[in-house]
Amino acid sequence: MAEVEETLKRIQCQKGVQGIIIANAEGIPIKTTLDNASTVQYAGLIHQLLMKARSTVRDIDPQNDLTFLRIRSKKNEIMIAPDKDYFLIVIQNPSE
Amino acid sequence: MGYHCIMFTDETLDSVGTESSWRRSLQSVQESRSCQTLPLHTAEAEVQALHVTNNGTQTDAQDCFAEYHETSGDHPGLKEFLDGIEEMVIKELIKNSRSHAFDGFEVNWVDHKETVACIHRLQHPDAQSRGLQVTSLSWSCTGSVIACAFGRVDDGDWNTERCFVCTWNLDRRGLNPKRPDLTIDVASAVMCLSFHPQRPSLIAGGLYSGEVVVWDTSRTQDPILAQTGMSADTHREPVYQVHWVPGSRRGELDVMSAGSGGRVLQWRVEGVEGRLVLASGYALVRQQVPMINTLSKARGGSSIGVTALALSPWDLDSFLVGSEGGLVLKCAFSSQTVSAALPDGESVTLRAPAQFCFSPSSGPVHSLHCSPFHRNLFVSGGTDGLAHLHSLLQAEPLLALRVCDSSYVFAVRWSPTRPLVFAAATGQGLVQIFDLGRRSLRAATTIDQETGGKPVYCLEFNPRQTHLLAAGNGDGTINIWQLSGNLTEQGPRETAQLEQLANEVAD
Repeated sequence: MAEVEETLKRIQCQKGVQGIIIANAEGIPIKTTLDNASTVQYAGLIHQLLMKARSTVRDIDPQNDLTFLRIRSKKNEIMIAPDKDYFLIVIQNPSE
Repeated sequence: MGYHCIMFTDETLDSVGTESSWRRSLQSVQESRSCQTLPLHTAEAEVQALHVTNNGTQTDAQDCFAEYHETSGDHPGLKEFLDGIEEMVIKELIKNSRSHAFDGFEVNWVDHKETVACIHRLQHPDAQSRGLQVTSLSWSCTGSVIACAFGRVDDGDWNTERCFVCTWNLDRRGLNPKRPDLTIDVASAVMCLSFHPQRPSLIAGGLYSGEVVVWDTSRTQDPILAQTGMSADTHREPVYQVHWVPGSRRGELDVMSAGSGGRVLQWRVEGVEGRLVLASGYALVRQQVPMINTLSKARGGSSIGVTALALSPWDLDSFLVGSEGGLVLKCAFSSQTVSAALPDGESVTLRAPAQFCFSPSSGPVHSLHCSPFHRNLFVSGGTDGLAHLHSLLQAEPLLALRVCDSSYVFAVRWSPTRPLVFAAATGQGLVQIFDLGRRSLRAATTIDQETGGKPVYCLEFNPRQTHLLAAGNGDGTINIWQLSGNLTEQGPRETAQLEQLANEVAD
């Protein structure tokens, strides 16, 4: 368990990282560095977007699959790394 | 012929003395006294412990490991998942922080308005013919309805004429700027208004007579939901500020009123009985204000008349008070010190809330507003024609901006969307909008209300439709302005710039 915490700490220490959330395949957050309200909001909304993005990629080419999703906004960038059982959300403000 | 030599010789004369007729030697009235304490009694005693015991404690280290095993069991495969993606994610994060790919890249989702335009000019013909002024404005929580209070501020005399509160619904198609949707007759001049932050039909108002009233605009018969009436608890002086605060009962809001009598009172709304019941109260007196240096220049009445009040959206316990004498005080709801003001038959004990005194200005403070983007910043405006940017952490202001020459600042409000922007209303009929991100300290935009030189008394941004700004004038008209995109669209680094400004607190 300590290794999981250490991995998260290494990611958190990167420049401009504002928060990290790990959620399971159903979109329920299991680890987070943000407050409860924001975590629930991010996990729920991003899970829906992740499903839509994945189905878009597979519809265009059934042999293809989603490996990484990035959303760039005026204030920050959200990076999502998906997997079979979990997905990782990292929020970074690159100009900080 | 012979010469007579006159020989000069030295001569000494006796000294002459005169005795004083009024001064006597003080020697004659000398007395001597002495005193000595009674002899002290001392005694010695010794003590020694007969029984001695040693004891020690230590935690068990084993429990920690047991816990770790449990939680890792809940998430099988989590460690493998993270191991697999960690490297890739960190590589992307580093690349992103160094990338210049998006520098200067901006997207236009909405057509930005380039200019500021006046979209409505509201007036009430009856109020105009009587020469009443707009004393206060409030937007409803939905952002569609604006309520305006008409009263008189230029009259030095005690005012007893009937005045109104009018509401207009700006989203209604049949909007007639000359005819309000609802007009409420009030027995005396209304000095301040505030819409309930959650229930769109309730308005609280403070009157010149010292009463506080809550109106319910959804009622057809009698709009008055609750009022203080004239009791021992009521203000004796005009009420200048009225706000809704978290109340004594859970989930409900109370009305907080402050007036020139130095009282800040919190009222519970008893809708069934139609009364506002005093829940708690504070009285401000000069002796209980923590002054940095003695400001004993002003004498007369020890109570501090309140002309401005601001609640902090960050710290629910503190509020700011601006006084007629130019003081700006930080107060706390939870203060337990009993006020030194003489009790006058009130039903609750009044407390002294002042905790900190900021550097005073030379005239009454008309308006205070806490920044919605930074917990330590607030802006104040008063009769010296300057708008001061203060930090809660120090007494001296961070910045003083000249709003107008030889005129008063009647209202200051932060923009709800741009952290660095605030608007100020002047006595010359202009609304000056300042952008702290610009190099120059002059106003970014000046809006002329076209009132023929009459002052602008109140200013409010629409909480929902954030590009709208309402300003109420001394000639009885209200202008609704639609602001341009550069005044309402938040830039990417604004919060960081505001943080930098706030950190310029002197050590």
